[in-house]
Amino acid sequence: MIVGELKEKAKLIRKKILDMALSAGSGHIASAFSCVEILISLYHGGVLRVKPNNPTYNKRDRFILSKGHAAIALYAILADCGFFPDSVLVRFAKETGHLGVHPEMTTPGIDVLSGSLGHGLSVGSGLALAAKLNREKYITVVLLGDGECQEGMIWEAARFSSQRRLNNLVAIVDYNKLSATDFLKEGLSAGILRKKWEAFGWESMVVDGHSFDKLLPILNKIHKRVSYKPLAIIASTTKGKGVSFMENNPIWHYRIPVGNELKFAFREMK
Amino acid sequence: MGSWAKGMRSAFFDTLFGMARKNKEIILLTADIGAICHDKFKQLLPKQYINVGIAEQHMVGLSAGLALSGKIVYIYSIIPFLAMRCYEQVRVDICCMDLSVKIVGIGAGFDYSTLGPTHHGTEDIALMRSLPNLTIYSPSDNLLASKIAQVSFREQGPAYIRLDRTGHPPLYKTSKEINLQQGFSILRNGRQLSIITTGNMVYTALKVSEELSKYSIDVGVIDLFKLKPINEEKLINAIKGVPNIAVLEEHCISGGMGEKLAAIIFSQMKKPPRLKLMGITDQFCREYGRRESLRRVYKLDTSSIFDVILRWIKE
Repeated sequence: MIVGELKEKAKLIRKKILDMALSAGSGHIASAFSCVEILISLYHGGVLRVKPNNPTYNKRDRFILSKGHAAIALYAILADCGFFPDSVLVRFAKETGHLGVHPEMTTPGIDVLSGSLGHGLSVGSGLALAAKLNREKYITVVLLGDGECQEGMIWEAARFSSQRRLNNLVAIVDYNKLSATDFLKEGLSAGILRKKWEAFGWESMVVDGHSFDKLLPILNKIHKRVSYKPLAIIASTTKGKGVSFMENNPIWHYRIPVGNELKFAFREMK
Repeated sequence: MGSWAKGMRSAFFDTLFGMARKNKEIILLTADIGAICHDKFKQLLPKQYINVGIAEQHMVGLSAGLALSGKIVYIYSIIPFLAMRCYEQVRVDICCMDLSVKIVGIGAGFDYSTLGPTHHGTEDIALMRSLPNLTIYSPSDNLLASKIAQVSFREQGPAYIRLDRTGHPPLYKTSKEINLQQGFSILRNGRQLSIITTGNMVYTALKVSEELSKYSIDVGVIDLFKLKPINEEKLINAIKGVPNIAVLEEHCISGGMGEKLAAIIFSQMKKPPRLKLMGITDQFCREYGRRESLRRVYKLDTSSIFDVILRWIKE
């Protein structure tokens, strides 16, 4: 897909996310909006080597949504790619829908249960290590939240992964600078976070997380890396991106727009 | 001193090593806790042994990723660091995803009797028995530990196995005496009282029952080595007609084996026996030295158990 098409796809996905959240009365919309371009690059941009008609294809690239509360975005994208019918999405967070706020392995295209922050990088390092042991060429990508990087377990996994030279492991940090209740106190520089990963022995870089032009060239190289280090991509993003009044405002972590808010939101997504 | 002195940990890992040589899918992870019985793994199966470093929470997540990729993973550390420090990881990454990771903890009860309460395995049963999908084994001697190593590989899904370093003479002479499906063994029949116990305490219970028999008290001993799931029907059948049951555990009473058995007995038996729960009461152990001295604080040493039971049975 060319960049123009991907941008249209991003609008469509944001609209679907909002529809799903409204229908369910539940959903982490702002956290989902900040990683839409990242996920579209991975799936529609052809980065992840996966087969929608064969979700457990054993040579597939593995993906872990460690910031599991953004599953609402992942569901919209998986459905759009053909992992399951679009008609399933309206059952998000409802009885018999099997699509929870946090992802489960029973959903086609989901490899790992998540929802408790901090686990995904360790589990991902296990997938990557198994690939090395089995001499398989698939890549493991783990999408982390920036608030999630406050969890100690992340750094246990980071140290281990570089020590073990898991260069088939890629972490993408959705650096939207907000956690559930407030802006991150570490300062607003993605460069500081990048230095932390480098200190742990990772190759790390900062990229504009909403620009396909910037994301794709980096992501398209992950299968051909020369370094023996794992890779951490700090994607600089805006929480709530796509709806102006939701952007960078902590109250939108777990809030559904109503009334006029809703009208404005849909207008902005046209 | 026979080879039994090496303890059940050696028996377990020697058996695991034998299986790992034939099954490349078996991986052993440790969190920088060493054991001589792991040396064979390190030297002869280097691709199947990983010292993860002092990072237990990560070790659990890592084991889940490996298990998702078809490995059968054994993770090893001292009991509190496995059952407690990374309990949430065990809950979510292993049990909730129902993966074949076998959690092997060393240091049940006061096994590490000189290291202080940070190293005591005294609340793990309470925690682990609350987790769905988890099978729990607590061997009492080397042969049983070896059999449990074998069955843990054959059985799918999560398992928790609590081991002891302290060795003592064998309780089982042949495999025929062990019914893994049943999950318990009647080591000694007794018509007046039965002691249900597990792990290292089984040997103590047998000594106590010997002593009590000299006072004409007929005491039986049941080794409950499968703490979850408990074969309730068979266990109730085994104790039917015995008027006094004592549950003995080197573990806190709160949430322990005794409370579980009390629930089974009182909800399922029309004529429940008298029940005595013997275990660690609600305080940390600040004693150091021989294991018996730590047990003495809670009247769990051999002579105190004898006194307590003698007095109880005469009431």
